[in-house]
Amino acid sequence: MYFLNPLLLFGAAAISVPIVIHLLNRRRTRRVEWAAMRFLRASIEKNERRLEIEDLILLALRCLLLILLALALARPTLRGALGSLGNLGLTPSTALILLDNSYSMDATDGVQSRFDKARKAAEETLDALPSGSSVAVWLVSDAVRPIIPEPTRDLALARKIIRESRLSDHASNLLPCLQQATGTLRNKAGARKELYVITDGQALAWQRWSDVLQLLNDAKQTVRTRIILVGDTDEQNLSISDLRLAGGLPSVNQPLRFEAQITNHGHDDVRDARVTLSVNNDPPSDEGSIEFIPAGTAKSISLFAKLRADGFHSVTARLADDRLPADNRRSAVVHAMKELRVLLVDGTPSRDARESAVFFLRHALVPVSAADAPQYFIKPIVTTPAELPAARLDGVDIVILSNVFDFSPDVAASLEQFLSRGGGLIVFPGPNCSRAFYNSKLAAILPAQLDEPRGDPEKQDSFATLQPKDYQHPIVALWNDAAAGTLASAHFYRYYPLQARTNHSPVTVLRFADGAPAVMEQSVGLGRVVLFNSTGNTAWNDFPVRPAFVPLLHRALAVLLIRRDEALNLKVGEPFNYRLGLEFANKETVVTLPTSTPEKPQRDYGRVEMFNGAPTLRHANNDNAGVYDVEVASDPPLRMRFAAQSPPAESSLKPLSLAELKQLGQAAQVLQYPTDAALKSRVQQETVGSEVWWPLAMLALALGAVETFFAQRFSRSR
Amino acid sequence: MSSLPANRLLDPDVIARAEMLGLKAREVVEGYMAGEHKSPFRGFAIEFAQHREYTHGDDVRHLDWKVLGRTDRAYIKQYEQDTNFIAHLYLDGSESMKYTSHTATKLEYGKMLAATLAYLILLQRDAVAVNIFDATVRETYQRTDNRSALLNILHTLAAYQPQAATDLAKVLHDMAGKIRRRGIVILISDLLDDEEQILSGLQHLRFAGHDVILFHVLDPAELEFPFRGTVEFIGLEYQPRIIARPAELRKTYLAEFEAYRNRLRDGCSKTKTHYVLANTGQPLAETLASYLAFRLHTSRR
Repeated sequence: MYFLNPLLLFGAAAISVPIVIHLLNRRRTRRVEWAAMRFLRASIEKNERRLEIEDLILLALRCLLLILLALALARPTLRGALGSLGNLGLTPSTALILLDNSYSMDATDGVQSRFDKARKAAEETLDALPSGSSVAVWLVSDAVRPIIPEPTRDLALARKIIRESRLSDHASNLLPCLQQATGTLRNKAGARKELYVITDGQALAWQRWSDVLQLLNDAKQTVRTRIILVGDTDEQNLSISDLRLAGGLPSVNQPLRFEAQITNHGHDDVRDARVTLSVNNDPPSDEGSIEFIPAGTAKSISLFAKLRADGFHSVTARLADDRLPADNRRSAVVHAMKELRVLLVDGTPSRDARESAVFFLRHALVPVSAADAPQYFIKPIVTTPAELPAARLDGVDIVILSNVFDFSPDVAASLEQFLSRGGGLIVFPGPNCSRAFYNSKLAAILPAQLDEPRGDPEKQDSFATLQPKDYQHPIVALWNDAAAGTLASAHFYRYYPLQARTNHSPVTVLRFADGAPAVMEQSVGLGRVVLFNSTGNTAWNDFPVRPAFVPLLHRALAVLLIRRDEALNLKVGEPFNYRLGLEFANKETVVTLPTSTPEKPQRDYGRVEMFNGAPTLRHANNDNAGVYDVEVASDPPLRMRFAAQSPPAESSLKPLSLAELKQLGQAAQVLQYPTDAALKSRVQQETVGSEVWWPLAMLALALGAVETFFAQRFSRSR
Repeated sequence: MSSLPANRLLDPDVIARAEMLGLKAREVVEGYMAGEHKSPFRGFAIEFAQHREYTHGDDVRHLDWKVLGRTDRAYIKQYEQDTNFIAHLYLDGSESMKYTSHTATKLEYGKMLAATLAYLILLQRDAVAVNIFDATVRETYQRTDNRSALLNILHTLAAYQPQAATDLAKVLHDMAGKIRRRGIVILISDLLDDEEQILSGLQHLRFAGHDVILFHVLDPAELEFPFRGTVEFIGLEYQPRIIARPAELRKTYLAEFEAYRNRLRDGCSKTKTHYVLANTGQPLAETLASYLAFRLHTSRR
């Protein structure tokens, strides 16, 4: 037996009430001066024993009555077989239905999706609840979205809301949801607390398996958990697990290479998987097919598209529909630019252009003939450190420092602000550099500190080379393909060894053959910094004259810009925060959701808010994968887009194993829907516990009547 | 505690009804002057009583000459002698007499009763002696037949305040020893003492030849015990306190009380003592008139 309102057990202390009343009455007795005392005494002597017994009987009855009332108010509950003794009719339940709305629930058997089945199972669960029960309904995935946060007795409302519930594009992770649900139920009153988890039995949802079992076992005493599985065992599924701009800069009217990764989650190999790529929901601009994807592996395919105008473009890759449609398309947003302005800061300007620190860089940035250079989308602007304070960083996209000795703290601060706004910085150190300045004044933005330079550029026979293979970083991943050439041919005669700063999160882009980092990068605010460890000209190495230099530089620029676009491509559920110029402060915004249709538009309205000191466009309701169109009511209106992408792991439909189901069955009741017998009868077969407050209350009432009877009888004159 | 002033001890209504009835001696009384009541002494008045042989010293005027002439024996003619009576009023002035459940205490009621009787007795030219007692006689007003003494009697009664517990039996035995002439003894008391002892004292008085009237003064609450709730009873005569729920004890109490009164009544009946219940809840006129009428009826010759 346990009590739902154990604090009210303190009410049993009320047994002192009759005694206190008696004592108070003694104090409140009427005083009478009396002459005929001997007759009174004789009467008392004759009745003393009887009066004592009667008093004791009344006291016992009253105390028992109060104890019973306190017990009844504390709502005692019996369990198991004992529970049925007090169970004249089913005791109302306090139920919480967790309805899995992760996108794996979109898997269909051709007739209905898992989510359709889950909603039906939820409705049958409502039917199975005893009259007077209350129910809360939460949609769960890797996040909890309570659509009926607190238990309601309005089951019709619950039914309506269940029918209207929608899938999300979240992954599933039930442990935090179960923790929250059991915690909530524990705090609720009610004899029968029941948790219904309606899910597809996808193994991914039960991460941290032992913790889940532990949680369910711990909750067993107070919360009865029923897991209703609506999934099947068919794991076959092909998904687009990634889509990214793989190469080139997002320039207008240039062919851009996008890489779509297709994953085969099933047990069977897949042949001829066709993928299309379209821009802004136009007809597909490119398509391709992957001939063979072995079971359980992923393969990438490159598809090309051109962006016809500057601005924000959505790019969507699609697969042919299969049993899980939700992962057959994936969108990304790219911010296309008409021109890319790169500020080259020449640390050693010279009359002879070839002697300049940026000579090779300038040419590498514009790898076209002088005649075509004005039309080329990269616009290099060369400046010197002396002119740097006057340069307007707002007007450039990327800054390249080449062999710059140092600059003023104001310039360092403005450079940091430039990065935090989303700008890109590439640093090529050289013989002219002040190591102390770089290691101290630029410590906040550089991913590594520069150690004492090594090597001698005069000794051509002693040099370091770059790693020949195993390129992990997107900037250099291209050279994993031998057809793209090699990076290892470059000779580095002198360089600054890079020592990663542990207080930052630097990433090594490229290493020397001996494993020492040669190029590192890190994010700073919304921007990114790439730090080379040698010169951007041929003073310390011959890399600028190698064929790989131009693509490497361009890919570095692309990665710097992609960093800026990363804010445009979120994971589902992540909030969208995008900094805008001051002119957009407090402007109204309209965000059109991916689920919006012309018939049923779905829009969120808001304003550009000041966030961390800058006008920021914010949108939190990003539960669906796809493209979100944003319009800011400025003059002219700013139209932009961002995309939310579903977590690819959720595409794996691998169910729990039989052994795991068996384990789960020991911690909770596992029901298979709809193959098991009618859910209603299965649910009603079990009685978790019954409140026995009302028999106690009736007993107290009866005792009250008996007490009244005896009190009347005893108080009659004898 | 305030008490009734002397001028309120006599109620005109009570007096009016009592005067009409009067207080007659039921039995022969030894008065000290000629009066309305039979004397135990044979005198030479109007009503012939008997003959007695002449002895030396008898007044020869009372010789029955006719008998002497016929029988040659000297007989004295004797006649019934009427005399006045002496009423001894004994009022219980113990603490228990202070009790009242309404307006008049038992003592006040007793004082009014005593005053009325004293007035009535003096009005008949009989003599009255007034005593107030508890365990002993506290106040005494000596025998008087002077009507003008009434006022003093009233003052004596009015001035008395209770001060001790009662010992009625002792007082009764004492008065039986002290009162020489047979007369009327009127005892006004709540009799809250041992009834055996009281009856013994009454018997002593009766044995001495007194006509004893017992006014048993009781409060209606003592007769009905109407209390409810929890009551702390504080003994008026220094008994320990009792906390009780009287409603639950009422029947037993009334039975006990009735048995006690029955014993008293039976005892009085045996000793030919008039037992009169004086319920302070009833008008004194009614109680007294009722008794005097009864007495008048039973004492007619």
